[in-house]
Amino acid sequence: MKRNALVFVALFVAILAMLASGKYLDRTRKHGPLKLVGNVQGVQAPDFSLPSLDGRKVKLSDFRGKAVLLNFWATWCPPCKVEMPWFADLQKQYGQDGLVVLGVAMDDSEPATIAKFASEMGVNYQVLLGTNKVSDDYGDVQYLPTTFYIARDGTIVDKMTGLLGRKDIEDAVKKTLNANYKPASVPLNQADATMKQAVAAKGVSPRGASR
Amino acid sequence: MRRGLALPLAMLLFTGVLLAQGFGDKPPVAVAPIGNVQMKAGASKSVSLDFRIGSEFHINSHVPKSPLLIPTVLKLSGPEQVTIADLKYPAGQDMSFSFSPDEKLSVYSGDFTIDAVVKAGTAAGTYPVKGELRFQACDHSACFPPRSIPVQFQVTVVK
Repeated sequence: MKRNALVFVALFVAILAMLASGKYLDRTRKHGPLKLVGNVQGVQAPDFSLPSLDGRKVKLSDFRGKAVLLNFWATWCPPCKVEMPWFADLQKQYGQDGLVVLGVAMDDSEPATIAKFASEMGVNYQVLLGTNKVSDDYGDVQYLPTTFYIARDGTIVDKMTGLLGRKDIEDAVKKTLNANYKPASVPLNQADATMKQAVAAKGVSPRGASR
Repeated sequence: MRRGLALPLAMLLFTGVLLAQGFGDKPPVAVAPIGNVQMKAGASKSVSLDFRIGSEFHINSHVPKSPLLIPTVLKLSGPEQVTIADLKYPAGQDMSFSFSPDEKLSVYSGDFTIDAVVKAGTAAGTYPVKGELRFQACDHSACFPPRSIPVQFQVTVVK
């Protein structure tokens, strides 16, 4: 009787393993290995190079040293529309502190249509044309809007899916701006000297220093 | 005997839960099975195709209020002996949602039916009609990319 139970358990585990591996293989066959799944906080944000609406190539790594709000959206997504004026306001409010908002349009529409829509929404930040690859790299972004908050050193501070309140977004922006930044390529003494020169030239305290 | 059944039953339940999780990416719209449609040669018949939308979702109607929104569209085709003469979509419901309370969207939610007017040719036989329903679904806070589900039925033409 005990032996039968053991055989049954072994068979059950084998079937589960087959189901799980089948599902994984199906996903990887369709999309390649998913890179950002589960808890993504602290994970390095995958770099990308995407065309902007004006035809330039924009890389995430171009913004190293800035806090990046990376918003996946589409023109056919009504909840995405609600957030866009908020992002424009936040770009205006926190741009001087180092915030860069990037919109990634996951859309089949023509760039001119996307540009017109973005303009009507009051968008004052860069809009990039998304691809399946960038969606896959960011964990198969299917649910729009999805927003990643990326610290100045390129690590992900937070990921938010679905429409949230403006306060939640602003809190995430502040958290991202204040996330620990460890410049990898510039020695601290050099960064300090550059900062002192900038302060001396402008005669003002850098924003954020008094916070 | 009860103890003997407990283990298989628990495992069956567990498998069911796992399978349900595995199907989490299934489309939020399903089509009801369509029986074999019997028709006389040369006749026309309206075939009702019933769809059900998951309880938390809505999809755009066939005529959404903005050209940027993706309409629900059914495409069907059959062999030469069966033609789809017309598709009758239901009117959308004008609804507003928490993400934009001041804006009305024309949507389908719950169950809806599209009537396909099928015209039979003169040759008797059983013919497949195949196609897909394309839709774009949202819930109260987010949207999914457009998806399609297969729709098919058989038409038997008799003399």
